[in-house]
Amino acid sequence: MGILSEFISSYFLWRDPMIVGAVSGAVCGFLGVYVVLRRIIFVSAALTQISSFGVALSFYLEGLGMGVLSSFIHPFILSTVLTSLAAVFFAMKRDFSRISQEGVIGFGFLIASGAVIILGDRITKGAHDIANILFGNAVVVDPGDVYIIPAVALAALVIHIVFYKDFVFVSFDEQTARLFKYPVRTLNTVILITIAVVVAVATRALGALPVFSFLALPPLTSLFLTERLKLVFAISVIIGALSATLGYFFSFVLSIPTGASMAVCASVFFVLGLLWREVKVRT
Amino acid sequence: MTNLIELEDVTIGYENKGMLGPLNLAIEKGQFWGVLGPNGSGKSTLLKTVLGLLPAVSGSVKTSDSIVFGYVPQSEKFDPIFPVSVREIVSMGRYVRVRAGKNLSASDMEHITGSLEKTGTLHLKDRTFRSLSGGEKQRALLARAISGEPDVLVLDEPTASIDIKGEAQIMELVGNIRSDDGLTVLMVSHFLNTVTRYADRIILIDKDTGYFKAGGKPEVLTDHNLSTFFGLGAGSGII
Repeated sequence: MGILSEFISSYFLWRDPMIVGAVSGAVCGFLGVYVVLRRIIFVSAALTQISSFGVALSFYLEGLGMGVLSSFIHPFILSTVLTSLAAVFFAMKRDFSRISQEGVIGFGFLIASGAVIILGDRITKGAHDIANILFGNAVVVDPGDVYIIPAVALAALVIHIVFYKDFVFVSFDEQTARLFKYPVRTLNTVILITIAVVVAVATRALGALPVFSFLALPPLTSLFLTERLKLVFAISVIIGALSATLGYFFSFVLSIPTGASMAVCASVFFVLGLLWREVKVRT
Repeated sequence: MTNLIELEDVTIGYENKGMLGPLNLAIEKGQFWGVLGPNGSGKSTLLKTVLGLLPAVSGSVKTSDSIVFGYVPQSEKFDPIFPVSVREIVSMGRYVRVRAGKNLSASDMEHITGSLEKTGTLHLKDRTFRSLSGGEKQRALLARAISGEPDVLVLDEPTASIDIKGEAQIMELVGNIRSDDGLTVLMVSHFLNTVTRYADRIILIDKDTGYFKAGGKPEVLTDHNLSTFFGLGAGSGII
């Protein structure tokens, strides 16, 4: 039996993770356009790490036997709350005692990364779970994710469609938006919170590495391919979904880690986009 | 005459640190004010304070609630990573009359097209802003500023990145728009010739020496000031 037919016949194994991966890749691809255009890629790296920290903290607290608080320390809730709080903090504060915002974001990234590893060392479930959170291993996903992630993605997309004009405006020219009395701070916060919530749910399902790569690489690739802003969003969504889908396929048939496979697929699209751009510029 | 903008004992500066003041200024409807001064003299800080983008350290800036500013920033301030078309960027000028969460109406689109036509940029509407020449960018930004049907046109170094021919075209366009639409203009520039040729009122500012003077050209551009701030000798014929 060929690899492809074997893969197809095993659809009951990969259907749910494939749906979760494709939807996560698509919505991260969409939101990542703001991440790239606003030059805040490091924010998405920090948010994915803080989300990982939320998941690890949840495992750790669960291990302590805090059964009464179990609903509050559910990985989804804790990760979403922590990531959203970080997003609000990054959106509200612009300078911190003469340290640039980038420096504070770096601090958030590093402390969250360190805390994840420390918690991983203390979690009885073992380092394997932490490795899955950090690098992704969506071989199987929680059955609830098949509903939660598309629902969160749909909500984020609706918000972004309704406020598309405003989000692009404040991202491109914040000063004029303030002159026009637009609620700039609120709009910036909403952009980051939608990114944070999507990052939180997607990181728990797929891991930090693929989620970060979906936020950065598909938008960068689509910027190589088109000069139209709306097309940048559309192409980025397609590349995000394709990276996740192909990444899962290669992971399945080659028995390689899923998160890494998804990140490499997104990277291959990036390299192809870069080559296409170079050829176009030279001809 | 009606004062559109009044500064009463205003001290300009950043983060509650006064840079220059107290300043008093009254801008009347229909006037063309040029703001002059050396680099780093506080021109842009004054402009941002007038626009309400920067709070005055002390004193008050009075503008009518219904006043609409059309703002032409320096084109270099826009990040070239954004693939926005000229039509998209001109549409943003109309957002002053369209609330957040609302979309542009057919009437708004007509105003946007009219602004593109008036500035001679209609043929550029589908080009990306970043691909335009310096002069084309300024015309597109001018189209953006007037698409919101402003009362006051505010220009921040509009000729900084263009050649002499382009400068003349832009300034002629500004003059035509001002006379057609009865606009008040406030223009910041460090080019003495440009300002003296087109403005009928001058603000001369220099935070380092604490100097601020606003008024007619002969009143502000005295031989002493021309010598002190621009290194020009008496009888330079600049006015």
